[in-house]
Amino acid sequence: MINTITGILSSAVMMCTPLFLGAIGEVFSERAGVMVCAIEGIFLLGAWGGFVGAYASGSLLVGLILAVIMGVLMAALYGFVTICLKQQQIVMGTAVNILAAGLAAFFQRVFFGIPTVPLQVKPLSHIAIPLLSKLPIIGQVLFNQNIITYLAYILFPISFFVLYKTSVGLTIRSCGENPASVDTAGINVNRVRFLTVIIAGALGGLAGSFYTIGYLGMFTTGIIGGRGWIAFAICFLGNWNPKGALYGTLVFGITEAITIYLQSTQNIPSIPNEFIIALPYILTIALTVSKRSFAVPKQLGIPYNKEL
Amino acid sequence: MNLNFFKKDGEFFKKGYAEIFLFNVLAIVIGLVISSLMLCFLKQNPFSVYAEVFKRIFNDKYSVGEIFVKATPLIFTSLAFAFTYKANLFNIGAQGQFYMGSIVAVALSLAIGDKVPTVIVILLVLILSCLAGALIGGLIGFAKAKTGANEFLVSMMSTYVVQNFMDFLLRTVLRETKAEYLQTNPIPANAFLPRIIPGTRVHLGTLIAVLFAIGVWVLLYKTALGYRIRAVGYNKDASEHAGINSKIIFITAFAISGALAGIAGFTEINGVQHMLLQNFNASIGSFGIGIAILANGHPIGIIFASLLFGFLNVAGTTMGRIPGLNIPASIIDLNEGIVMICVIVSYFLRMRYVSKKEKKRLLLSGGEV
Amino acid sequence: MEKETVIRIEGVSKYFSKVIANKDVSFDVHKGEIMALLGENGAGKSTIMKVLYGLYTHDEGQIFIDGKKVNIASPRDAIEHGISMIQQHFSLVETHTVTENVILGTVKGKINMSSYNDKIKELCTLYGFDISPQSKIRDLSVGQQQKVEILKALYLNARVLIMDEPTAVLTPQEADSLMEFVKDFASKGGSVIFITHKMREVMSVANRIVVMKNGRVSGIVNAKDTNEKELSSLMMNSDNESIKTSVNAPTGPVALSVNNLSYIDKMGVKRLNDVSFYIKQGEIFGVIGVSGNGQDELAEILSGVINSGTGEIKLDNKDISSLSVRERIESGIGYLPLDRLKDGMIGDMTLSENLMIKESFKGGRWVKNGFLRIKDLKNYTEAKIKEYQVKASGESDLARSLSGGNAQKIVLAREVDAAKKLLILNQPTRGLDVGAVDRIHRIVISQMHEGKAVLLISTEISEIFDICSRFTVMYRGKLMGIYNNGDLSISEVGLLMAGVQV
Repeated sequence: MINTITGILSSAVMMCTPLFLGAIGEVFSERAGVMVCAIEGIFLLGAWGGFVGAYASGSLLVGLILAVIMGVLMAALYGFVTICLKQQQIVMGTAVNILAAGLAAFFQRVFFGIPTVPLQVKPLSHIAIPLLSKLPIIGQVLFNQNIITYLAYILFPISFFVLYKTSVGLTIRSCGENPASVDTAGINVNRVRFLTVIIAGALGGLAGSFYTIGYLGMFTTGIIGGRGWIAFAICFLGNWNPKGALYGTLVFGITEAITIYLQSTQNIPSIPNEFIIALPYILTIALTVSKRSFAVPKQLGIPYNKEL
Repeated sequence: MNLNFFKKDGEFFKKGYAEIFLFNVLAIVIGLVISSLMLCFLKQNPFSVYAEVFKRIFNDKYSVGEIFVKATPLIFTSLAFAFTYKANLFNIGAQGQFYMGSIVAVALSLAIGDKVPTVIVILLVLILSCLAGALIGGLIGFAKAKTGANEFLVSMMSTYVVQNFMDFLLRTVLRETKAEYLQTNPIPANAFLPRIIPGTRVHLGTLIAVLFAIGVWVLLYKTALGYRIRAVGYNKDASEHAGINSKIIFITAFAISGALAGIAGFTEINGVQHMLLQNFNASIGSFGIGIAILANGHPIGIIFASLLFGFLNVAGTTMGRIPGLNIPASIIDLNEGIVMICVIVSYFLRMRYVSKKEKKRLLLSGGEV
Repeated sequence: MEKETVIRIEGVSKYFSKVIANKDVSFDVHKGEIMALLGENGAGKSTIMKVLYGLYTHDEGQIFIDGKKVNIASPRDAIEHGISMIQQHFSLVETHTVTENVILGTVKGKINMSSYNDKIKELCTLYGFDISPQSKIRDLSVGQQQKVEILKALYLNARVLIMDEPTAVLTPQEADSLMEFVKDFASKGGSVIFITHKMREVMSVANRIVVMKNGRVSGIVNAKDTNEKELSSLMMNSDNESIKTSVNAPTGPVALSVNNLSYIDKMGVKRLNDVSFYIKQGEIFGVIGVSGNGQDELAEILSGVINSGTGEIKLDNKDISSLSVRERIESGIGYLPLDRLKDGMIGDMTLSENLMIKESFKGGRWVKNGFLRIKDLKNYTEAKIKEYQVKASGESDLARSLSGGNAQKIVLAREVDAAKKLLILNQPTRGLDVGAVDRIHRIVISQMHEGKAVLLISTEISEIFDICSRFTVMYRGKLMGIYNNGDLSISEVGLLMAGVQV
């Protein structure tokens, strides 16, 4: 029993990792006023880049780097069109997501043709932290994870500190509330926004790579399956702050871990498998509908126009 | 939610019509050129591949017909997105509403398909699949109106939920009798939408789609309800000050949008596939969004933009069939993504062009406003 | 004494895509002087200052600071030259604290908030501002928010302070205290550029006056060598006689009566406190007060946009307090909201479509069997454009392509038609030039003569004195008494607006 729970919790922490990375990236960009609606595509290309890099070079590090580059490139395209050209974010997001799906599938074929056996890489190994990993339950759950998860651990305090205790954070938060105030203070609003979108892209790319080289060791075009959108939703539901994002991630991560567990055991045949798979999505809808007080950044989604 | 920021470029048939057309066509051409260059990665000469594709499609009546077949559901999903877009709402869940319509269409056709005359089956399936889509759409609209929930997120997630519901049905009650694949039995031929051009798969649904596009245009621009929907979309506050109940508009617009997507389920089941299977037409929802953008949200423009996407789709599959080239079907997504982005960028260029022209005119006129 | 020139603007022009905002503007600013930039709305005063502050880039001309030609591409450049601008619409982040707003853009790296709080506190003491650095902006009054804007400038060691219509949002008393600050700042060697369209202010505070008209400089004069008459001839396009209506107390029956109206908003703030008054048929009743004292809520409750107030509202002796917006429109209420762009019209629709909006329902004037009577509507719109002298090329113009005054006329045309019995006007002339103000006043008076009741909400005492027969003053949601026109002087009304009983 203890082992089962430890197993579920440990897998929950794993499932939390990419969601948290994506959600934090989204928190940064949305606090600056830009919804990164391309997040699903960024996740997907991150996953693909991670896999290709790792497979081609044999080095997981190369995979991680390529994943981040892919995420940044997609984010740059998205940011250029939505921020500099001031085009509609949801629409551009849809376009980028379609493009990303096309790019990943097409170049997978260009590079690997139609392989007879599924291509595999050995996923990132779990690193047991000395001493800490020996703690009962917690040790196994929290301190025997892969490097990306540890990065996510560090990211939480860093993002909190940057957003609330530094000048950069003040500027980012002001950009989303009243960009004119930032402009009159002599700071280029669009540059700030673009940078936050790039951050979201880097984190999103890293998050995507978790699914390929951090977990499954292979790539399929359906590998993300809406998880980018879940990260997007977590940012909304977590009220645009790192703490809220953390809580939201835990809820979804645990739900997903339970889903995986139930699917693997088939213990409760009375609950249809499909219902379990749909659980995170149902949860998102339920939370979106029931949550009342949102601290939406005032200028979220609105391009900054200083001259009419 | 603060989502009322849709870029309004004025109506299609008003001033600047020629510029919109010119910029859109240019954007499409440039998009196609860029995406055809992708073929170089497969060590193919794009020109010869496209020459071959054109030859194959336009020398073959069946293939030309396929363009219309592929365009038909896209007209519906695109109308679905465009309709809520007019009310400044985002229905990203047309895929789910389409699935719901498909489920109802297939279930009803299987149940009564060979028991009553074709006309009655077709009409019943049309109405009920329409209602099924409207129900899902209306629920999202209701959530938006009642709790102010972000309709973008809710509609997005609703697709995944409905998809899993469909998978569940395909695995259980709707599963084919031999229980081999996750699909239904074929519906009886009595429930088929009649083909309208011999030698092709073009069916009555294509005509229905065109009629619906015209109907949506009339609804939006010629009726009081359509006017109120657009008024709320452009300026919700002013509309409320004028006594328009925006909550009812939200629900109505979403229900109509869902209904349109639901009908796509009917035309696809009864007109083309004649059965329901897993991952059925998995991306027509998102393509619908792209088409709506391409057409600037205009219902008549949507017909033509859908034909373009239909062509890209057929071209993609045709390429895949040319022996020895090994071109994957994902070229379709790639083409469509690139074309969409080119069109979005062209929006910016067009606005800048128009604004520069105005400025120049002003300078020449010597400053009278 | 030879004046030291700080800023010289030479031949600057600025073109927008549809308007020439500035043409060949030249003037200079001296050290230690208060310079007024005077002109009607739309004369290009704010634009030239936004150019100087780097918010807009100019198309022609040059700017010199301390005799050197400079290129001000962004506010950052302006700030480095010691120029700060307090804009009409404050650029403050409402959810942040005073300190966070003041230090935005001036800090690097980790922020030690408590030490910055102390610094701001010191600055407040130095200039006698009563503001706590840790308060959130949204909890401050408008006057205090303006002081925060000034703090931002002082914190940056500004030597040239540009103020865009700084008194528009202040009570007369707050405005006086601002003037004290301005004089103090100038006496310490700073320069102030003061954008305004109010001549009285100019005469009382400025040393020198630059008058603008149609985007050009029409005159530069010393305050002590000029008078209001000369200034007005420099700034006006044509002579407009101001109208004084014959304000006979009407004798007709009561049209609107409001009794014990109270309203608490979502944040729990009491916006209206036991408001009671009546308006007779054929009467213009004025409500004067500084913005934000409950006038907007009063208008929205009467029109039905807000429906959670308590108390009694009777129109022609029928209780309408539980009717919806649409039902109130149908019972004969026309309402011109404060923010015409946001609440009054739909910028991206045509003029026809804008005139239709209140009649777009079943049984409405422009609906037949659910379809729109487009042709009739278009003819009607063209007729209204003529009648109201709207400058537009035709009914299919988009509403947003009209200038402020012309857009206001379109909205007014619609509301006058809707107002069979009662016309509610919330600051109908705000931001309009003198000619447009005059035409709108004439329309309002003609409505009065037709026997309609008119509720006129205004922040300009002169407007109330010009056309109302009776008026009330609102302060923090309460009525400070109801008066006949002529009972009180301007300064007495000013005191009432600040909450002081006279």
